[in-house]
Amino acid sequence: MSGEDFDALDRGDNDGQKSDKMFTLKKWNAVAMWSWDVECDTCAICRVQVMDACLRCQGESKKDSYGKQDCVVVWGECNHSFHFCCMSLWVKQNNRCPLCQQEWSIQRMGK
Amino acid sequence: MSGLAKTAVLAEEGGNNQNRKRSLHITEQCNNKRTKSDDMSANEKKSNFSLLNPHSNGSVKMTSSSMNKPGAATKKLVIKNFKSKPNLPENYQETTWSKLREAVIAIQTSKAIAYSLEELYQAVENMCSHKMASQLYVNLTNLVEAHVKANIEQFLSESMDRQVFLKRMDDCWRAHCHQMIMIRSIFLYLDRTYVLQNPSIHSIWDMGLDLFRHHIAMNTLVQTRTVDGLLLLIEREREGDAVDRSLLKSLLRMLSDLQIYEEAFEHKFLLATERLYAAEGQRLMSELTELAVPQYLAHVEKRLREENERLLHYLDPSTKWQLIHTIERQLLSEHLSGILDKGLKALMDGPRLADLTTLYGLFGRVKDGLVELCKHFNAYIKKKGRTIVIEPERDKTMVAELLDFKEQLDHVVTTCFQRNDKFLYSMREAFEYFINQRQNKPAELIAKFVDVKLRAGNKEATEEELERLLDKIMVLFRFIHGKDVFEAFYKKDLAKRLLVGKSASVDAEKSMLSKLKQECGGGFTLKLEGMFKDMELSKDINITYKQYITPSQHLSAVAEGGGLELSVYILTMGFWPTYPPVEVRLPVELTRHQEHFTKFYLAKHSGRKLQWQATLGHCVLRAHFTQGKKELQVSLFQALVLLLFNDGDNLSFEDIKTSTNIEEGELRRTLQSLACGKARVLSKAPRGREVHDDDHFAFNGDFTNKLFRIKINQIQMKETSEEQKATEERVFQDRQYQIDAAIVRVMKMRKALSHNILITELYNQLKFPVKPADLKKRIESLIDRDYMERDKDNPNQYNYVA
Ligand SMILES: [Zn+2]
Ligand SMILES: [Zn+2]
Ligand SMILES: [Zn+2]
Repeated sequence: MSGEDFDALDRGDNDGQKSDKMFTLKKWNAVAMWSWDVECDTCAICRVQVMDACLRCQGESKKDSYGKQDCVVVWGECNHSFHFCCMSLWVKQNNRCPLCQQEWSIQRMGK
Repeated sequence: MSGLAKTAVLAEEGGNNQNRKRSLHITEQCNNKRTKSDDMSANEKKSNFSLLNPHSNGSVKMTSSSMNKPGAATKKLVIKNFKSKPNLPENYQETTWSKLREAVIAIQTSKAIAYSLEELYQAVENMCSHKMASQLYVNLTNLVEAHVKANIEQFLSESMDRQVFLKRMDDCWRAHCHQMIMIRSIFLYLDRTYVLQNPSIHSIWDMGLDLFRHHIAMNTLVQTRTVDGLLLLIEREREGDAVDRSLLKSLLRMLSDLQIYEEAFEHKFLLATERLYAAEGQRLMSELTELAVPQYLAHVEKRLREENERLLHYLDPSTKWQLIHTIERQLLSEHLSGILDKGLKALMDGPRLADLTTLYGLFGRVKDGLVELCKHFNAYIKKKGRTIVIEPERDKTMVAELLDFKEQLDHVVTTCFQRNDKFLYSMREAFEYFINQRQNKPAELIAKFVDVKLRAGNKEATEEELERLLDKIMVLFRFIHGKDVFEAFYKKDLAKRLLVGKSASVDAEKSMLSKLKQECGGGFTLKLEGMFKDMELSKDINITYKQYITPSQHLSAVAEGGGLELSVYILTMGFWPTYPPVEVRLPVELTRHQEHFTKFYLAKHSGRKLQWQATLGHCVLRAHFTQGKKELQVSLFQALVLLLFNDGDNLSFEDIKTSTNIEEGELRRTLQSLACGKARVLSKAPRGREVHDDDHFAFNGDFTNKLFRIKINQIQMKETSEEQKATEERVFQDRQYQIDAAIVRVMKMRKALSHNILITELYNQLKFPVKPADLKKRIESLIDRDYMERDKDNPNQYNYVA
């Protein structure tokens, strides 16, 4: 389909000229789900899905909490991921990844 | 002699007879109540005297006031009389007494008295002044006794009609009273002086009563005949005959005045009443059909009314309590469950409000009546409610029926049961019981019911009506144990409403959400609120995305055949229902847009990934038909199929399947909607409603439609029972997390708790049924994971581990 053809259609100019394309997409309302890009969707520390707030944050039952904003996910250099809340408590006792025992250092945080 | 006192006596003669009698009767009653101690008896006699005082005019009020303060008049009389003491002729006593005797006999035989009353009164006064009072009293007593005694004869004859007997007794009693009043007015001075000074002596009036009681009323034969006669009259009246009520009244008064009402009459009367109503109750109950219960209740009411009238007309008021209780016992108490077993269902089904009000009123009169009614009311609700809930054939109408049922019961409790708290509580208990007799389904159907009401196109209700309806639904929701099951189904429908823009009103949606929040707390609605938040955030993201697409990029997109406007709803996984991932083949153009957006989004939100939900996508297509240009609103799947016809006009089912990679069943439904539905933009060969594997499809260029924008509805797959199962299963899995979170929440707040208190707290917080054993398991698991620990000294106590 050529640019001219499309322009003609776009102007709603349909007299006489028969387009070779019967259907053109005007609008697409798509739907996508987002989730944390993690290997394992459960936090090994609190055993709650990382998409949900960690067990302690759920315990807070904050009024205006929509979950994630407060309780994000953190990835280590080893690429293992946990609730940030869970990991912050964990490293106070043991500065190693609970899954692979590598020394813990943050690679990135969820946003 | 004081002129004042004389006038008093004379005036009394002309006084109103009937009024006086009433006063007398009242005196008797007053006397009865008093303790007969000596110092009191003087007072009593004064009272009697004052009753005969014409100033009282027969008025009760006057009587009691003069009783309370024995006035100066009495004093005056006594003092004056002792001052002037005339000399007496020989045999004064004999001649004076014979004069008085003559007068008394005249009164007793209803003959004219040969002397003036003033003369007679003076005679009595004189005799008293000359210490002849005692003898005078004895003489008078003997005279009265002789007369009363003689009266007995007329009541002893063998065969006498009962009615005649009673009449005669009444006449005799009336005559006695009349005579004694006359006699007393003549002998008033005696009453006021001698009697008053001698506490052991009866007043003249009481002496008369005493003699009448002794010689007439206490005669066994006479008493039996009298009482049996009275009972017979009452029995006949109870059977519906008209009887002489004034006769009954007069004779019962007589018994009261003689102080034998209770022992001679009341006891027998109550026994007869008991027997009558016991038999009547049993007979009516044995004949009672379900439909006749209202009549039975009306009958009981009628009986109570009648007996109250009897109390009003002739029975002594002291009988009231026992009489009414006897009827209530025999007609109601004895048959409480009998009446309810037979009648309550029909009354409630009606509902027959007037009859239910009567029922409540009557049952409220007797002990345990309302308890029993409430018990049956409860059982009725449970039984009927269960039939609404339990049968799958009724699922379509279950919620509407429940709402109607609840409304009807509310109406009954309000209008008939005086909004009695016990009934309200019992109703709630019954609802909670039966609605949970079937697991999950009621919760699911209530959620669906709300969906229908909140969906656009539901124009049957105004905002206020909708709000009221939602409140009613919340009442049902409150009874549901598995509130999370409701949430899961509600969420599915809410997702559809939000994503397809089908919601009727944002206000109504928010209102429903706040009702749920109020009922179950913020934790319950957290994810539902998250869905609304996602919708808002998506709006912002799309605005930012439009700005992000630079004009040059936009142009190049257009040049490459785009011109496509993309908007994306970004949903947070976990908030929304889960949708099975579907891989379809998108045209290059769409893939490019998708990738472009993904790059933009992930740049803003690191650590995330996007999963595109093809099943939820929608498109607007421009279409060229021979008759003109149209805009089609279609699902993504419908769009993918239609776009194929730009490159080839006759496609087989197999071709389309390969090109789009849409799942077979889904594709069949999609083609059906495009070629077999209302708006057939494709033609199918061979024709027919079903889509088969070897069918071929072509663009229908001749398609016409009045409208420019046409929505082609996707044919919805009926929600399979497997899908419902899956939803339920997810709910059950989720319960484990809910329990964990609740335990941590409670422990974090309370730091240390005994096992039992923790369990109680959890039952308060959790919105679904759960077994103690399951809770225990979760507690163990949390101990393993170091969220809490058993107390070292007390194994029954847990401590929170921070
Ligand atoms: Zn965690
Ligand atoms: Zn957290
Ligand atoms: Zn690791």
